[in-house]
Amino acid sequence: MKFSSALLPLLAAPLAAAEHTSNWAVLVGTSRFWFNYRHLANVLSLYRTVKRLGIPDSQIIMMLPDDMACNPRNSFPGTVYNNADRALDLYGDNIEVDYRGYEVTVENFIRLMTDRVPENMPRSKRLMTDERSNILVYMTGHGGNEFLKFQDAEEISAYDLADAFSQMWEKKRYHELLFMIDTCQANTMYSKFYSPNIIATGSSEIDQSSYSHHADSDVGVAVIDRYTYYNLEFLENKVRDPTSELTLGELFDSYDEDLIHSRPGFRYDLFNGGADAARSRRIVDFFGNVQNVEVDDGAKRNETQWREELEAIEKMIEEAKRRHNESLNVRPQALNVMEEVQHSERQHTIQKEGAVRMDEELSWKKQVIGGAALLGCAGIWAASSWLESL
Amino acid sequence: MATPEDANASLKTEVSEIASVHPNQSPKSGVSSAKPPQESTRSLWLRRTVILSFWAVAVLLGLPVWWKTTAIYRSDLPLQAMSDWAEGKIGKPVFPLRIAVEAPILPQDTHSLIQTTQHVLDDLNEFSAHQLRLMPVDPPLTANASQHVVVDGTRNSGDDKDTTLLIRLIPVETGETPRSYLQPYSPTLHVYYSPSHISSVSSTASPLAAFIARELHDIFAEEQAQLAYLLSTTSGEHIAKVHSLPQETAAELQRRSTRVLKYAPTYHLTFSLFTPTSTPSAWDIEAALRQYMAPLLESFSAISNFTIDTQVQLYATLSPSFPPPEYDENAKAWTLRNEDLSGFINAAEWPLSPSIADGPTVNFALYVPEQSQSPLLVKDSGASSWLVPQWGGVAILNPPSTEQDAAPLSALSKEALAPAMQTFSNQLISLLGLPQTPASLPLRLSTLTRVRAASLVFSASSTLGALAQVYQKLPSIPVPDTVAKSVDLALQHLQQACDELREGRFQGALEHARIADGEAEKAFFERSMVGQVYFPDEHKVAVYLPLLGPIAVPLLMAALKEIKNEVAAFKARRAAS
Repeated sequence: MKFSSALLPLLAAPLAAAEHTSNWAVLVGTSRFWFNYRHLANVLSLYRTVKRLGIPDSQIIMMLPDDMACNPRNSFPGTVYNNADRALDLYGDNIEVDYRGYEVTVENFIRLMTDRVPENMPRSKRLMTDERSNILVYMTGHGGNEFLKFQDAEEISAYDLADAFSQMWEKKRYHELLFMIDTCQANTMYSKFYSPNIIATGSSEIDQSSYSHHADSDVGVAVIDRYTYYNLEFLENKVRDPTSELTLGELFDSYDEDLIHSRPGFRYDLFNGGADAARSRRIVDFFGNVQNVEVDDGAKRNETQWREELEAIEKMIEEAKRRHNESLNVRPQALNVMEEVQHSERQHTIQKEGAVRMDEELSWKKQVIGGAALLGCAGIWAASSWLESL
Repeated sequence: MATPEDANASLKTEVSEIASVHPNQSPKSGVSSAKPPQESTRSLWLRRTVILSFWAVAVLLGLPVWWKTTAIYRSDLPLQAMSDWAEGKIGKPVFPLRIAVEAPILPQDTHSLIQTTQHVLDDLNEFSAHQLRLMPVDPPLTANASQHVVVDGTRNSGDDKDTTLLIRLIPVETGETPRSYLQPYSPTLHVYYSPSHISSVSSTASPLAAFIARELHDIFAEEQAQLAYLLSTTSGEHIAKVHSLPQETAAELQRRSTRVLKYAPTYHLTFSLFTPTSTPSAWDIEAALRQYMAPLLESFSAISNFTIDTQVQLYATLSPSFPPPEYDENAKAWTLRNEDLSGFINAAEWPLSPSIADGPTVNFALYVPEQSQSPLLVKDSGASSWLVPQWGGVAILNPPSTEQDAAPLSALSKEALAPAMQTFSNQLISLLGLPQTPASLPLRLSTLTRVRAASLVFSASSTLGALAQVYQKLPSIPVPDTVAKSVDLALQHLQQACDELREGRFQGALEHARIADGEAEKAFFERSMVGQVYFPDEHKVAVYLPLLGPIAVPLLMAALKEIKNEVAAFKARRAAS
C-alpha cells in the first residue's frame, strides 16, 4: 500500500506524543474541626511532597476547610505536624492555600475541575491545564459508599466526580490523571469513572474503614492517616529528588495491608495501555514537575548579524507603517484613532448598558408580575362577588 | 358506644326537620333510624366541588409550579452542526496562496510563463489543501507602468495583503541564470534570468518555468509540512490527503508542537533576573528590551500582542534537592548535568507565578551565578541556555572572566544583556512557533498566520464538539441561552474563517478564527453550566415523601371514597331501574 507506508510515521506520531509539559496537583481536604486534624495534616504532607519535587505553587491547588495551625486548641500554635516526633512543621513559612474555610464546597470543587469559575477568579485559584498536563488529584476526609463528605454539610458522590472528569477529558484538560483518595470505603469513589487515561487508587475497600496511624498525645489527636503515612514514607525515603526513576507500580507494591489495616485498591482499566503502562509511569510524572528541556546548541549565532537583523526588522516595520498610512491617504491614522475611541466608547457603554438594562429588565419584570398579581386578585374578587350575588 | 334512646330520638327529629325543609328528599331516609340520613343532593355536590377544587389546585397549579421550578432549562443547541465541525465533516480549510508575477515582458509572454509554471507547480504539489496560484500583477503591466514600478517599488502595496509573494523577474546579462534571491524583509522573490529564456516559455520544458516552480516549492515546503501535520493530527478526515512526510520531518514537527505555546491573542512576557548573591542588583532591562525585543514583538503584532514585566530577585538560591554544579578541570568551568536542568528553576522559592493579566505567561529567567562558580555551563554541550517547552527559557549570564578579582558587577548594562537578549529572542521565536524557513521574515510570519488560523479553527471545532458531547451525556446540567448564542456566533465565525481561508485572505481568517475560538471557549466554560450534584432516587423519595404524604393521603382518600360512593349509587340505581 502506498498510503500506509507513507502515513505510518504520521499515525504513530499522536501515540508517540505521550509527553506532558506541565504538572498540576489538586489537594483536597474535606473535613473541619479539631478532631479532624489528621486530614489537614494529610493534605499538607502531600503539598510538601509535590512542592519538594518541583511543582510550583501556581500549579498546586490546595483546599483546606479549616485552619489547624491557628486553632485555639492547638498547643503548638502556628504549626501542623504529621508525626508525633514533631520534627517537621508542615505549615512552614511558605504555603499557599487556595481555597480555605467555607470556600471548600462541592460546587467550588466541581467548578475548579471544569474551570467554570467566575470571571474575576485569580489565576492561582484556577486549574489551567491543557491536553499536555498531568494532574494529581488527592482527596481525604470522611466518606462512605460512593460519597465523600464535604464539611459535614454536603457530599460529593462518585457520579459527580466521574462526570467532572469526563467533562475535563472532553475539553482536553488533562493528559493523564492520577486519582488518590484516603477515606473510609475509598475505593468506591473511583468505581464510577469512565473517562480515559485515569489511574485511580484508594485506601480501603467497600465496608472497610480507613484508619489513622498514630496520635500525638501533646497535640491530643491523631496526626495522620495510615494510607497517607505509608505513601509519604515511600515518597520521602525513596523519591529523593525530581530525577527519580521509580515507577507508580513500585509505589503501589509498597503498600502493606497489615500496616495500612485496610485493602488499598487500584484501577488501571481506563488507562491507555492498561495496567502495565500505568504501573510503568514514573512517580515524578505526577508528583513532580519534570519537563524535557531543550538545551540550546552551543553554537552561538553571530551577534553582529543579529543586531543588523533587528535593525532591518525595525526598518521593515517602519516602512510598512509608512506605506500603510500613505496608501490610505492619511485615513488610517484618523480611522485608527476613531476606531479606538469607538471601541473604548463601545466597551464603556456596553458595560454601563448591561448594568442598566439588567436593572430595567428586572424592574419591568417585577412590575409586570405585580400588575398581573393585582389584576388576578381583582378578578378573583370580582368573580367571587358575582358568584355570591347569584 | 352507648346508644341512648334520646340520642337516636334527637337524630330522628333532626332528620325529619331536614326532610321537612327539603320536600323533594325521599321520605325513606327519615324512616331508617339506624343509618345516618342520606344527605341532600346539594350538600353532596357541594362536597364533591370542594374535593374537585382541591384536586384542581393540586393538578392545575401545584403540578405546573413543581414542574416549572424543578425543570432544568436547556437551551437548544445545533448539536449536529457542532459535531460535524468537530469531526471535520464541514469546513475543511484550504490554503490557496496568491503569488503575483511581475515581469518586464509582453503580457502574453507573462501569461504563458505563468501557465507553464503553474502546470509544473501543480505536478510538484502533493498536498491538495495547499495550493500556490500564480497570477500576473494587475493591472497588466505596460512598459510605462513597469518604469513606474522601478521608480516606486511600493506601487502594489495596496493589494499586497492578499498576495503572499511577489515574484519579480529581472533580466540580467551576466552571471549564472536563472538564479533567485529572496528578499529577507519583504515578501519578494527576485528571479534573474537571461532574455534568451523568454523565447521558450510556452513549452513545458522551459528552464525558467521549471526553475521558478522548484524555487516556490522549496520556499513553501516547510509550511506545507506544518499544515499537513496539523491537519493529520487534528482531524482524521484529512489524513488521506497528506503527502508523505519524511520520518525526521514528522518527528521534528511533533517536537515543535510540544514546544510551541498555544495560541493566545495576548501573551505576557516576564523577564526575571536571579542571582544567588546581592549583585548584580540592577539591570538596564528597559533599554535592552526596547532595542533587542521591541522590533521582534512589533513584527508579531498582526498575530498576537505582548505585555511585559520584569523583576530582579537577589539571594535566589537553587532548590536544595538540585545537585550542586561540579567543577570541570578540562573546560575550566562549573558544569550542570543535562538531566538535572529541568529542576534548575526553584519553583518553590522563586516568584514566577503567573501574572494576573490575561493570557498565558512566558517566563524568561536570567541567572547570574556567583563569582566563585563562574563560568557556569551545561556539561558536554557547553551551552548556557535552555528552553522549557510551553514555559519559557533560561539563560545563564556569566560575567566576563577577566575581572575575576575585580569587584562583582553591581549593574548589568544594555550591552552586557545583549547575548542573553539574543538567546531569549531565539527562544521566543521557537516558543511562538515561527518556522525556520524560508529566509524572508514576512513570509515566515504569513506562514505562522496561516498555521495559527488553521489551528484555531480546529481548536474551536473541537471545543464545540466537546460541548455537544457534554450536552448529550449530562442531562442534569442547565444550558442557558447565552451558550446557544455563543455557539451560533462561533459557528458563524468558523464558517467565515473558512471562507476567508478559501479566498486567500489569511489575516481576516485569523481574526474570525480567533473570535470563533473565543466564543466556543465562552460557551463551554459558561459559569452557570455546573450541574446539580448527583441525587440518587432514594434521596428524591426522602425529600418528597414528608411533603407529599400529608397532602396526598386526604386528597386520594377523599377522591376514592367519592368514587366508591358514586359507583355504589350508580349500581343501586341500575338495580332499581
